[in-house]
Amino acid sequence: MIRFSRVSKAFRDPLLVDVDLDIESGAIWGLIGPGAGGKSVLLKIAAGLMRPDAGRVEIAGRDITGDDETALAQTRERIGMLFQNNALFDFMTVLDNVAFPLRRRGVADDEAEARAEKRLRAVGLAGSEHKMPSELSGGMQKRVGLARASVADPEVVIYDEPTAGLDPVTTSKIYDLLREDHEASKPTTIVVSSDVDALLSFAPRVALLEGGVLRYDGDAAAIAESDDAVVRQFVTGSLEGPL
Amino acid sequence: MSRTRDIRSADSPPAPPASAPDPQRVALLLRPPLLVGAAALGGARVARGIASLFAGTLLRAINRQSERGAVAEQMFNIGNRSLFFVAVTLGFIALVSVFQVCLQLNRVTGDLSKVGLELIKLMVHESAPSLTAMMLATRVGAGIAAEIGSMVVTEQVDALRMSGVDPVSYLILPRFLACLLMTPVLAVFAFGVALGSGTAMAYVAFGVNPSIFVDFSAVTAADVGIGVVKCFCFGAAIPVVSGYCGLTTFGGSEGVGAATTRAVINASLAVLALDLLLTVAGFMLFPPSAA
Amino acid sequence: MIARVGDVVIGVTREVGGIGVLMLQVLRALLPWPSMDARELWRNLYRMGVKSLPIILATAFFSGAILVVQSGIFVRRFGAEGLLGWATGYSTFREIGPILIALMFSGRVGSNNTAELGTMTITEQIDGLRALAIDPIRYLIVPRVTAMMVMLFALTVFGDFVAILGGALLGQVVVGVDTSVFWHSLFSNLGTWDLVHGLVKSVFFGLVISLTSCYFGISVRGGAVGVGRAVNASVVASAIGIMVTDCLLTLLMK
Repeated sequence: MIRFSRVSKAFRDPLLVDVDLDIESGAIWGLIGPGAGGKSVLLKIAAGLMRPDAGRVEIAGRDITGDDETALAQTRERIGMLFQNNALFDFMTVLDNVAFPLRRRGVADDEAEARAEKRLRAVGLAGSEHKMPSELSGGMQKRVGLARASVADPEVVIYDEPTAGLDPVTTSKIYDLLREDHEASKPTTIVVSSDVDALLSFAPRVALLEGGVLRYDGDAAAIAESDDAVVRQFVTGSLEGPL
Repeated sequence: MSRTRDIRSADSPPAPPASAPDPQRVALLLRPPLLVGAAALGGARVARGIASLFAGTLLRAINRQSERGAVAEQMFNIGNRSLFFVAVTLGFIALVSVFQVCLQLNRVTGDLSKVGLELIKLMVHESAPSLTAMMLATRVGAGIAAEIGSMVVTEQVDALRMSGVDPVSYLILPRFLACLLMTPVLAVFAFGVALGSGTAMAYVAFGVNPSIFVDFSAVTAADVGIGVVKCFCFGAAIPVVSGYCGLTTFGGSEGVGAATTRAVINASLAVLALDLLLTVAGFMLFPPSAA
Repeated sequence: MIARVGDVVIGVTREVGGIGVLMLQVLRALLPWPSMDARELWRNLYRMGVKSLPIILATAFFSGAILVVQSGIFVRRFGAEGLLGWATGYSTFREIGPILIALMFSGRVGSNNTAELGTMTITEQIDGLRALAIDPIRYLIVPRVTAMMVMLFALTVFGDFVAILGGALLGQVVVGVDTSVFWHSLFSNLGTWDLVHGLVKSVFFGLVISLTSCYFGISVRGGAVGVGRAVNASVVASAIGIMVTDCLLTLLMK
């Protein structure tokens, strides 16, 4: 479970303003909104990579508001994250990339490699274990990122733009992988995407963040009928409206 | 951040009463002190950041949170990157210094027999450590900032933190230890190259016999001690300063370029400032006696 | 090992050749009548010169101060306090001032310049200029080369002055040589030629830094990573260029 109460963050300009959130364990939760609307900041706070200026943050039942870096690092061990540009370690092979979080959690070398290989097979990358990330296509790099994010069986998985820059077929395949992962161990799943339609059909519950303010938080199916003109315009992609 | 805000408030002060002096002129008058103040504040913030990174690195070094393999790899990187560079630059500096000194002495006294003796002493406690460190600040400092900076902007540092890795132990500490160990080694190497080229210049251009030029008798234990202390101080400062510049990179690939520039400048200034401090300290601790 | 040395030699030859070609192109762009975009020139003069002033002055102060204490060691040993000003001034004006200021200038301005031109190259802005029938050499490179030569000269003048001030100050405080003795020793032993010697060098250093940084900027390959690599290579090549030029000029000018 993840709970934000009146969370604010500013860096020169306000990035998040009094955001309240409540995501129950095992849910799939989508986040949309225009660029620079505060989505990445919200993800970084939820992942324990960044501290809010004000407000309280609870992750998996633990209040991390006043935690120092060591305590935050312990919380982060229970979270997996796929970064926007994958953030694969370019000085390691694909296999080492995926096995890295396991090794750092004290898993023995052999077991870590075996589990990483299994994850790579699951995302359809058997045979690429010993390549370097730069030798892979964009879609394959994304899969390595997916494998690394969920290899350590996290309680929370965060996906930042899992389909950015990918063609429609690859996008569907990626969402299938996300669905399989969720079926397997039911982690709390947060997905940010600018591909609104694909996300709306994947996540039962979505939120819309605009200018650091949470404009919508509810059923994905009902978002087009929102009272808020900003939300309606963003979802329908109309040129007429307040945006 | 505070800097831009200060300047902005100087540009557009709140609406003044009608009798107040022209706000534009006031803003112009206020600008230099504000800029200096903002620069000082910015400098203080950077200094605090560097100091806390240095303390954190030392703490982790004491707790031995580094893999030996990583340190060895960085040592190879540093040596491999800078051997040629240090040899060329120090070689040419020695050529020029010997030439200028001999030229001037020829006009004044005409006695060139002591040039090697004195230059070797100077090289041991000053030139070899400080010039090698200036070159390392350029070569190694830029490399460290570029590597770490590009890891920051591609979110690899965040990915490290998500994998349960402390970026300071993993990225800064091996470079710190490697640079600490390699700076003295490279300074000795640079000393050798400079001695060779200086001796050659003295012989070719001024006919000073190498057996007279190469004379270590003026080098005291204090000279060697000061030289070694300087090497270790510079070797500690360069990776910490440039690592700080790399870790604080922001704003895409252009940010990496800016971080690299900052690393070269800040690491060079750190070397110069430390050199002044240590030179004065050496002068006070071991006051030179009449020859 | 031999193969590596061969690679280095070939690499160095190629870069030096490229920089030489760029210099010829710059010279040709100045014919038949030296003209350049005035706005671009002013912009570069300001950000390359004025903005570097604090760093250059700090560098100069440190180098003057270090030099005077080092000279102080000799002065004490030989009991020749009257020579402190001369020794400091001689080494500052002729060598240390121009070289250290040029190294810092290269680190700040040269590397920025490579990064900027490199980013313009990989984002195809240089091709965009060509498409508008604007000669990138004349529009981008010539003002930068001019600005760097002018500004490094000017900064060296300021820097020499501050270095000597720092030297006089530390000479009094640390070495214990009165400033009046220092000034007397400086002015009675050094001629205009010692100052000019260093300033001539600084103009050539400006040329070397500008051509090197522009060359590495416009020949960037391989995206954003390539820009980082080019910045690195440019700073290193400039430092080597400064040292080699210094050696040649010293031998030529005596």
